[in-house]
Amino acid sequence: MSTLSPKERLLRVLNKQKTDRPPVICTGGMMNAAIVDVMNKTGHTLPQAHHDDTLMAELSNDVHQQTGFENFGIPFCMTVEAEVLGSEINFGTLACEPKIEKEIFPSASKVEFKDINNMLKGARVNTIVQSGYRLSKKYPDVPVIGNLTGPISTAASIVDPIPFLKELRKDKENAHKVIDYVSDFLIEYSRLMIENGVTLISIGDPTATGEILGPKMFEEYAVRYLNKVIDGIHSMGAPVIVHICGNMNSVKHLVPQIKSNALSTDALVNLRLLKEEFPQITTMGNLSTFLLEFGTPDKVAGQTERLIRDGIDIISPACGLSTSSSLDNITAMTSTVKEN
Amino acid sequence: MPEGKDELFKKLSDSVVYMDESLTVQLSNEVIDKGYDAYEAIEKGLSDGMERAGKLFEEEEYFIPELLMCSDAMYAGLDILKPHIKTKESGEKHRVVIGVVEGDTHDIGKNLVKIMLETSGFDVIDLGRDIPPQKFVETAKEVEAKIIALSTLMTTTMEGMSEVIRILNTLGIRESFKVMVGGGPISQSFADKIGADGYSINAAEAVRLARRLVGGAA
Repeated sequence: MSTLSPKERLLRVLNKQKTDRPPVICTGGMMNAAIVDVMNKTGHTLPQAHHDDTLMAELSNDVHQQTGFENFGIPFCMTVEAEVLGSEINFGTLACEPKIEKEIFPSASKVEFKDINNMLKGARVNTIVQSGYRLSKKYPDVPVIGNLTGPISTAASIVDPIPFLKELRKDKENAHKVIDYVSDFLIEYSRLMIENGVTLISIGDPTATGEILGPKMFEEYAVRYLNKVIDGIHSMGAPVIVHICGNMNSVKHLVPQIKSNALSTDALVNLRLLKEEFPQITTMGNLSTFLLEFGTPDKVAGQTERLIRDGIDIISPACGLSTSSSLDNITAMTSTVKEN
Repeated sequence: MPEGKDELFKKLSDSVVYMDESLTVQLSNEVIDKGYDAYEAIEKGLSDGMERAGKLFEEEEYFIPELLMCSDAMYAGLDILKPHIKTKESGEKHRVVIGVVEGDTHDIGKNLVKIMLETSGFDVIDLGRDIPPQKFVETAKEVEAKIIALSTLMTTTMEGMSEVIRILNTLGIRESFKVMVGGGPISQSFADKIGADGYSINAAEAVRLARRLVGGAA
């Protein structure tokens, strides 16, 4: 099986089939790997690459080549959905990722529901879809991961999050309506990416954590709408990875209900124990991003070996990388997996 | 027999814990109508309720939506009671400058810490989110703050926290302020590494830390 391409290897793992070794990936999106070290070497830089499909594809390839991560990951931020749905975005700088400047709606009841197909014609969506197309045509052996900001986080990026979190309790009807609308949008956005060559979808939903929502609302909103989006993507024949932020203590019992093909977690979670408790879950993670920024290549390699020994199915950073992480640390991680 | 004062304060505290904003308003008005001391009602009613809510939050009985709704009830009661405070509170309140470091626009945690600090008697100057390091230092100097509280939810913006401390060092005013840090990716070891005075894992702990840093009550 040593002839597996990175794409075959990842797809096999997501399909619960045997492989020669775990893949080592960094999904992009919330886990953007376009670090300053990489961009300074090639001159394909952010924030320009957020808006230019050729540049986005080139930078994705730079990241893939230099870091050793066995995938392409687009886009490099979590703001596409919010922008298309109407919020104001600050595109940041080379070292600082884009962010929501201002959520457009003050409360869930004030959200205007727009035509989804129209929104998908927007320039930024087109940039990402085209870039995915380029990458998939040019490098058919490398998986292209299209990233979504999950339904709860996207909803909290178009509605001011403080009122929105209260409305999850106080105004359930409108909260459900908004998240359902956002989920429909995410499904159609995924469709466009997949039809244009993206191999799989990865969802990061940092507002949907146990610490923020608690188990009741995690089940009522996060599990329900993550699954709605996952079902939508599965019906197109593509696999889905879901990343859950935070320690998961209060929601661990709900996690097996999430229908994704793999579950990625934060560094706080002991994936070996999670696997023991729920053997049916395909696990992904969870090398500390703190270590990747401040550690040494030796330590990074050691922790990577531990993850491999623990039988983690897909090796990956545990969270969004700091753009000032060192390339040496990242390649220590990827080469440890490949040489194992 | 008319309802006793302590009983009413207890009900007021309960109404905050149970997130019942309209009941909190009604009970606060009752405090005024009956001529009870507004300051005492805030302390034994509203603040007590918020403290209990904070405890439930730590025990993972309440989560952020619940805590936010408790604080709405608390503020609604505060709006009614505050104008009726007779005696001036003794002494100056300790000032805290709080904000989310540059690059990060997640401010849920910061807002919670702000609410909890305010209900515990701190005077909080909220800079908002996505704040450059220099701005924290300038504001803290200007308002003569005791504490600078820095928050981030993103690994990518943690560097801004050490930058604040670097600026304080460069200006030779590091000793004038206590710096506390918190947020998702932050840990005690990170706080130690950048030379912060303290780290707290959640909003309730942040209050205890702030009290400790200023050496006692707010």
